[in-house]
Amino acid sequence: MSAYSLSAIAFTLFSLAAAGFLTCGSLVRMLMFLELMLNAANIALVALGSPAVSQAYAVMLFAIAAAEAGVGLALIITLASVFRTLEPGNIRELKG
Amino acid sequence: MILTAATYFFGASAALATLLMLFQRDPVKAAMLMLAALLSTAGLYLTFSAQLLAALQVILYAGAIMTLFIVALTVTPAAWRDKPGKGSFSRILGLAAAALILTELLKVSAEFKTVVFSPEFSETGTLDLARALFGRFAFQFELLSLVILTSIVAAVTLISKRKAV
Repeated sequence: MSAYSLSAIAFTLFSLAAAGFLTCGSLVRMLMFLELMLNAANIALVALGSPAVSQAYAVMLFAIAAAEAGVGLALIITLASVFRTLEPGNIRELKG
Repeated sequence: MILTAATYFFGASAALATLLMLFQRDPVKAAMLMLAALLSTAGLYLTFSAQLLAALQVILYAGAIMTLFIVALTVTPAAWRDKPGKGSFSRILGLAAAALILTELLKVSAEFKTVVFSPEFSETGTLDLARALFGRFAFQFELLSLVILTSIVAAVTLISKRKAV
């Protein structure tokens, strides 16, 4: 298989997730699409890199994605309870 | 031949699930479509002879992270999460930006002419990965535990602050 075909698969997934991230109106959905973008980047890494090294980086990216999802969802739940909304347009201040 | 067909099949099903997610209004159904996309990605990893990554994808992404999303969806009231998306102008602008990203990425990757993996299934992928993780990348791998620990502390602090308010 050519590298172009594999990168086309990963880039299509990334662009679809980016489209969702840019068009959706809820913070939880935005985080979902962000995870899918990271997933597509992982696919590109594994498909195009040398087998052992790229897979090692992919394992590290899995851990980073899990950490990001945990902190992101905690932030979203806190924001939702303070502002009573999940729409990013309605959240206008980030004073601690 | 079969592996090439499987790669295209799993890639197409992941893309289709992500596309359907874009137009799905119900957040729980959107989460299920995300699950389908993540499982298709696990299939893609199998076709790349990355068996451990496929298992981790199912356990971590499709298991742990999806559970987190479902919990987040259930603890936020329906009235907040089911609001319609942005206006049509913002949607068109977002879709145009994503199309531009795709075009540029495909233009750049048109230079890639090399064949990156042989279409034969390899069973030694996990062994090579273990050698890399516990040999060359042992320090970076151990540092990840700090990243996870920091994120746990951050998440617990955020949630406990919310309770104090």
